[in-house]
Amino acid sequence: MDEERARFESVYQETYGLITAYAARRCDSPQDAADVVAETFAVAWRRIHDLPDGEEATLWLYGTARKVLANHYRGEVRRQARSVELDTEMADLYGASPDSRVELSAITHVFRSLSDDDRELLALVAWEGLDRQEIATVLGLSRNAVRIRLHRARRRFARALAEADVRFTSESRLIPAERQL
Amino acid sequence: MKNTDDIDTITRSLARVEPGRPGGQASDAGARTLLASITATEPGPPAAPPRPYRARRLFLGLAVAATLAVGIVVGQGLLRTGVPPSYAVTKDSDGVVYVKLRDFRDAAGLTRQLQELNVPAVVDYVPPGKMCREPRGTHVEDIPPGLYSVPENIPGEEGRGWQMRIDTRLFKPGQTFVWTIGEQTTTTILMTGPIGPCVLEDRPVQKEVKPDYRLATVKGRSLAGLRVDEKTVGEVLPELRKRGLKVTFLIMEIAPGNPGGFGEGPTRTTPVGDDWVVWEAEESIRERGVIRLLVTDKRYDRNPVYGGPRDNVIKE
Repeated sequence: MDEERARFESVYQETYGLITAYAARRCDSPQDAADVVAETFAVAWRRIHDLPDGEEATLWLYGTARKVLANHYRGEVRRQARSVELDTEMADLYGASPDSRVELSAITHVFRSLSDDDRELLALVAWEGLDRQEIATVLGLSRNAVRIRLHRARRRFARALAEADVRFTSESRLIPAERQL
Repeated sequence: MKNTDDIDTITRSLARVEPGRPGGQASDAGARTLLASITATEPGPPAAPPRPYRARRLFLGLAVAATLAVGIVVGQGLLRTGVPPSYAVTKDSDGVVYVKLRDFRDAAGLTRQLQELNVPAVVDYVPPGKMCREPRGTHVEDIPPGLYSVPENIPGEEGRGWQMRIDTRLFKPGQTFVWTIGEQTTTTILMTGPIGPCVLEDRPVQKEVKPDYRLATVKGRSLAGLRVDEKTVGEVLPELRKRGLKVTFLIMEIAPGNPGGFGEGPTRTTPVGDDWVVWEAEESIRERGVIRLLVTDKRYDRNPVYGGPRDNVIKE
């Protein structure tokens, strides 16, 4: 029991920053993000016996957060008292939202028109910086399936951007240099 | 089309929290409070082994045949003989009763135990090939959500019986849980008013017929790796069409409160609405390239096929 608690606490310390970032990048409000974070870790504690060690733990938590998020959108995750305290801290992440800039709000709009699956694939690459094998683990797919789907998702995003007539005067204006990975 | 790097760069620019940066800090007050509140409870027990899907489907199929979504029938796949006779009935302080059943012969003993814990229940043992003559009473159509859980494997004892949870606070006066238990099938049906005795009669043979369809989305089947559960018809159809598959729709009938399981409504080949919800896909056993989608015209709070998320049942 104490061993489980120690293991969970160590995973929590290591992954808290990643999971809060994951949730904040995908939720429209800090309250939603706080709920997703709280529920994701609560699930991990309930299923501590399924929670893998090391790097795999992060991927497992991403996969869990994704399911929590999907349930959240269906209104199945109720507000937990324990996530209320997180709200303020999460709200700090929402101060300078990238889509407050005009060009980006158009792109955001197009991005949101993509299917959940497409968005998640693109985001896991670009936001969480996962490689194909890691994405395969998170989504429970084969590496090859990830490769094919990712290719299609990029194509669809590119096409949707073109259709929406989103133009870029210059890449540098769109993407500040310090954002490059 | 823009090249891959452009697309990824554009996507990166949309991230609310910059890629590579953490969101919150585990040392923040809110983070510490959350950790403390989560670990203040006991963690979950080791996971139960995944339930065999075959058994579950049989249970669902029989539920349709016998009770059309007002009761629960467990197929023989879950229940094997040759184990020590036992059952266990426990009640927690909230009035929730947990029943574990491993033996099906001592119906009288189980009835007595249930009644001692204020579960209004009648239990009869039904040998293989038999059933109680219907009707024995008036079936309750409006089952309160949460009254009982779908029977599940006992953790660590797969295939040796089942357990279920009954919330005794939700019984209304005059209601009785009518169970028949046996090696072959178990039914639990909520009835109201007087309950007739169980008069055994032969179970019609056609209920044991081989199914026409089987799950299509697991390893080795035609849709392996494709997830259709909880998506809309509009999301699923293009992929199936692209693969050149013929698609039919089984319209599921869901009992009030969606207690888990479903009745088989009509199967149609004409399209249903794009906004209908798909809960699972099956493939025809006899005819290659025919897919049957299990659909409802609206979204339910949980997947009726599995009584919850598919991932809780199918792990691969």
